[in-house]
Amino acid sequence: MTTMEKAHAPILKVGNAAISYETRYGDVEAVRDVSFEVHRAETFGVVGESGCGKSTVAFGIVDFLGANGKIVGGSIKFQGRELVGRSEDELRKLRGDQISMVYQDPMQALNPSVSIGDQLAEVLTVHRDMPKQEAWRKSIDMLNRVYMPDSANVMSRYPHQISGGQQQRVVIAMALLNNPALLIMDEPTTALDVTVEAVVLDLIEDLKRDFDTAIVYITHDLGVVARVCNHVGVMYAGEMVEVGSVESIYKRPLHPYTQGLMRCVPKLGATKESSILYPIRGRVPAPKDRPTGACVFAPRCDYATDCCYSEKPSLREIEEGHRARCFYSEEIDAGAWRPPKGLVPELALGAEEEGQEPIIRVQDLQTYYTQESKALLSLVGAGEKRYVKAVDEVSLEVPPGKTLGVVGESGCGKSTLAKTIIGLETPRGGEADFLGFDITKPVSERDVKLIRELQMVFQNPDSTMNPSYTVGHQIGRPLRRFNAVPPSEVRDEVVRLLNAVRLDESYYKRLPRQLSGGEKQRVGIARAFASRPDLVLCDEPVSALDVSVQAAVLNLLMEIQQEYGTTMMFIAHDLSVVRFFSDYVAVMYLGHIVEIGPAEAIYAPPYQPYTEALLSAVPIPDPTAEQKHIRLSGTVPSALHPPSGCVFHTRCPRRDMLPDGGKICEEKAPPWQYNTDEHRIYCHIPLDELRQMDPVVTTD
Amino acid sequence: MFVRDYMTRHPVMVDPGMSIVEAQGIMAETHVRHLPVVGKGKQLMGLVTRERMRIPPTELASLNVWEITRLLSNMTVEDVMVRGENVITTEPDLALEQAAQEMIEHKIGSLPVMEDNVVVGIITEIDMMAQLTALLGGTVAGVRATVRMPNRKGELAKVTGAISKQGWGIYASGGVPTPKDPDHWDCVFKVRDVPQAELLAVLQGIEGHEVIDIR
Repeated sequence: MTTMEKAHAPILKVGNAAISYETRYGDVEAVRDVSFEVHRAETFGVVGESGCGKSTVAFGIVDFLGANGKIVGGSIKFQGRELVGRSEDELRKLRGDQISMVYQDPMQALNPSVSIGDQLAEVLTVHRDMPKQEAWRKSIDMLNRVYMPDSANVMSRYPHQISGGQQQRVVIAMALLNNPALLIMDEPTTALDVTVEAVVLDLIEDLKRDFDTAIVYITHDLGVVARVCNHVGVMYAGEMVEVGSVESIYKRPLHPYTQGLMRCVPKLGATKESSILYPIRGRVPAPKDRPTGACVFAPRCDYATDCCYSEKPSLREIEEGHRARCFYSEEIDAGAWRPPKGLVPELALGAEEEGQEPIIRVQDLQTYYTQESKALLSLVGAGEKRYVKAVDEVSLEVPPGKTLGVVGESGCGKSTLAKTIIGLETPRGGEADFLGFDITKPVSERDVKLIRELQMVFQNPDSTMNPSYTVGHQIGRPLRRFNAVPPSEVRDEVVRLLNAVRLDESYYKRLPRQLSGGEKQRVGIARAFASRPDLVLCDEPVSALDVSVQAAVLNLLMEIQQEYGTTMMFIAHDLSVVRFFSDYVAVMYLGHIVEIGPAEAIYAPPYQPYTEALLSAVPIPDPTAEQKHIRLSGTVPSALHPPSGCVFHTRCPRRDMLPDGGKICEEKAPPWQYNTDEHRIYCHIPLDELRQMDPVVTTD
Repeated sequence: MFVRDYMTRHPVMVDPGMSIVEAQGIMAETHVRHLPVVGKGKQLMGLVTRERMRIPPTELASLNVWEITRLLSNMTVEDVMVRGENVITTEPDLALEQAAQEMIEHKIGSLPVMEDNVVVGIITEIDMMAQLTALLGGTVAGVRATVRMPNRKGELAKVTGAISKQGWGIYASGGVPTPKDPDHWDCVFKVRDVPQAELLAVLQGIEGHEVIDIR
């Protein structure tokens, strides 16, 4: 029976809020003119790139702005009550009783030195004066509610003893203990693996339904928004540029910025062409550099006219319940958009050379980390040694000029594989051959010529650059080291490399701290390509970057690859990023490759069950897309004691397809089944049955 | 049909120390008529309603405009609320009609819903009406027929049998004893996707039953 919609006032109503930070340059307005409403059992998503003021809005609601932040205008009403100008005491009471928050990093929200049970129970004993025992019991109930396995035991553990996904569940449980009317979640799943993220997002949906909680959900990920939100506000440079229901925004984005965001989000497109990423040129201005009296997005907008620079558009209602801050929303047809010249590299298709010898060939590679046992004997070196099998029996090959994407959850050994190939780890067994060189030796014993041909781009550009050397010096270093060019020409070569990554000569003398994240990663790429290597290993090069920057960096990598004919191995934690980038994809789980083949084959049946689960966990930025609902239970088992038989059997959702509930999976390692010559699957389930499965994602 | 399904979770609540001017503002802003008053940890301390906020005209008549302002600005929610032990409350797991019974008995418009001494919701007359409307299928399109039948076992089954025999489905129904006639019983049926005349013909074919209204 459907209940009637009761006319309720919103739980939270933000009207024309403006928030400033006091800085050396005077007051800087971080957020201005932001308005939205959140109702019961409804999720309002706030999306945008970093530096757009999303988190400032969240903190502003409860006045957690820090010493230099203040709300300078507008109103924030919670249940009809004005929050702006409340005393610290009143706010504290509200925060405890009626408003809760969940932040990005669960480890920072939990006290590492207090057991989980004590931390949870404290919420009830402090706010409600509940007796300790009862609070303990209630806390266990709540842990069960967030699907925490073995909840009674978890209570006595410390935060570091449980996994990241479980920590985030504890934080969510803690936030819900007081049954808050409003829950503010600031990127709660960003730090989690896709498979864990999928489970946490499901949980948030369930809790919203059961507790009628109003949720403000802050994220940069349009896929997540499509999965959990009812309404969305898109923020750009401190302003809300578009507000509407999730369906209307995805169906017809009205603001050029929203349209741009949609184009630069990796999708699980059916074809390679449909997964091309189009970056938004330029970048988000710093709060003090924002244009005043003009459209904030005009400098990056493809449709901007003189009017956009001289007048500020207001947030207008364009369709019912769908507002946008643009003069031309009615006229712009996002479907007719064509990328400006030079925004994306031309995809050099064709010219397929058959039967090329692979440039790198890895056979049964094993990299183990030794762990000393805790027994006394080990002090004298006589203890039993145990091994963390980080990479086990990995075989792969990559033809020259192609890209292999390596995908898997954290802890599956993909980074160790990269480190072994580059020589930072020494393999325990197996063969690895690169251009005829044996690359099982550590980097210190390698020939300079070999090192020159094998370079790496790292995940975090901040920690890979020396903060006290200039950009030019750092890019020049490999040139000098490998004598790539005569010393007199180093500077010219560096400038040429800078140009190749779309940075001008003025960057030569800059220090890393003067660069944005995207620029640093470009410098990292320039440095990796400086010695003209034959193989570049990219370890999650874009996961620390914003979506619009991410698209630009990916396109850049691809362009350089085409120019130099470089071979690449591209490591990523989710399948959407590598989709358009890779020619081949390898899926790793617990040190093993479980499926490897040409990219197209990976994204269509037959799937290895783990690939299928990964695909079904990827958030898709399209609320109408149909996606199979497969969730992996538990976490990746410890590589110290990998499961017997098939390593995936403890979590495999498809085991039931085999007789005896998949008894064979526990007992025997599965065979490699060849779907085609290049596409092989590591599974006991017969290929014919795997082929009959439906595709994971279907879009209209 | 329990209180927990029809109550409003996360009701708008106020502190005892809040001025009544502000409380009045909150009522206007959120369109609610009943505000549970809560202390630390959402523990119930009282209830204010619009009626409670009214100052008796006799008292007002003797005051000038300045005195009224002072009177209002000094008054807090605590001064006007129904105090803790006098507030009638209910629980989430109670059947809806039991809660309604309480409201009728005490002639009140709302019941705060309590769980572990904490306010988890509020249920009001409006929620009851919503339930009544839903019970009789008031919000969906269809043919609504009222049938008067003898107060005997098995009579209702005749109607449901006749309707299901046609392959139709009853969306909602409800029955009460005919007012001032203990021998009969009035039942309302909401049937969807059916022509009115056909339904009427079928219902009229049942012996001893009278269709007193169809719309």
